[in-house]
Amino acid sequence: MIRVQRETFDAGAEQRALLDDRSDVGAVVSFTGLVRDFNERPEVQALTLEHYPGMTEAALQAIVEEAETRWPLQGVTVIHRIGRLAPADPIVLVVVASAHRRAAFEACDFIMDYLKTRAPFWKKEHTASGDYWVSERDGDHQDARRWEFSS
Amino acid sequence: MSLTHLNARGEAHMVDVADKPESRREASASGLIRMRPATLALLAEGGLPKGDVLATARIAGIQAAKRTHELIPLCHALALSKVAVDFDLDEKHACVHVTATCRLNGRTGVEMEALTAVSVACLTLYDMCKAVDKEMEIGAIHLETKTGGKSGDYRREAPSAPATSVIEAAAAPIVTGEGAAGEVSVGTRCDIAAPCIRVKCLAELRERLGVGDVSVPFNDLPSADVAGLKAALKAQDPSFEGLDQGRVLCAVNQVMAGDATPLTDNDEVAFFPPVTGG
Repeated sequence: MIRVQRETFDAGAEQRALLDDRSDVGAVVSFTGLVRDFNERPEVQALTLEHYPGMTEAALQAIVEEAETRWPLQGVTVIHRIGRLAPADPIVLVVVASAHRRAAFEACDFIMDYLKTRAPFWKKEHTASGDYWVSERDGDHQDARRWEFSS
Repeated sequence: MSLTHLNARGEAHMVDVADKPESRREASASGLIRMRPATLALLAEGGLPKGDVLATARIAGIQAAKRTHELIPLCHALALSKVAVDFDLDEKHACVHVTATCRLNGRTGVEMEALTAVSVACLTLYDMCKAVDKEMEIGAIHLETKTGGKSGDYRREAPSAPATSVIEAAAAPIVTGEGAAGEVSVGTRCDIAAPCIRVKCLAELRERLGVGDVSVPFNDLPSADVAGLKAALKAQDPSFEGLDQGRVLCAVNQVMAGDATPLTDNDEVAFFPPVTGG
């Protein structure tokens, strides 16, 4: 299940929904990304997430499908928020269910790495010293490239 | 309100700060240097004869902040805990925005240090680029924010001087397009009758170019691909030269694409900076 929404989400409720009425799942891994109050500059007061409606959902779907070809998964939930968010707000949720923990851990990690480098979201941070668009990080690309040599 | 650097007889003197309590002080200042677009392009691609312009100007700004007391007669020598100098290349307005932030735990403010850092960084940019452009102009140097100390926090209100008018008010980014969550956006129809390509500029690129959505007549394209579209856009408005500045990605009908990707009537082409979600 993939959702792009302004509203916040409840990671516990989403995980329960994914596991509802199932007894074949042996492992569920959940990752929640939060807004930090410091980034390229200190004192981040808020950030605004822009996306490309249509392409965003298609890109997230493609990432989940890629994960499903690499690991035996029994369910995946990806929720990404848009609009204005405050420090400590949740931004992104990835929940992955599988029969075994290794697949769930790795698939969750993979989905986040690909989401950060392939899904059309952009962050603008509002700080004490002004607003600026967050620039891409080499580290994110290195993280994503790890998956090109494995599996 | 009185001037703290004048004593009872109106003579300049250095304020004794020994009895003032220490507090965490931070100040940010900004300014800009305008230059010809060609100079800015050379600066961006590292093509200037003196080498890495921004790195040099950054070090100059940091050094200047540390030596402010040697330049400004009644300033105290301060052990700054942090000096950061940042540059924002603004192709749309053909200028470089310079910001400096200084911090320390101490008894005096650090706004002079931040202002000095911006000034000297701008001067260094001038020095590094003057071989190709002597008409550059430095301006709009001002304090942005100041926190800590007896006089309290200060934040500059909306720009008032005409010199700062090139700095656009930071508008809240809008979410592009009309698609709702979970459904594929078909975008807007062409707003011209002839066959055309619908172009979107997203996020930072939209603000840099000052364009969100634009339709380009299909017949204006010298070749029926993304490279042809870029050429047609630049012919329509020189600000689209910005499509070649920095890393700009492209999607055709919401699928990642490149310069050679073919285009047909009513395609939706989006240009955008590298993604930063998650």
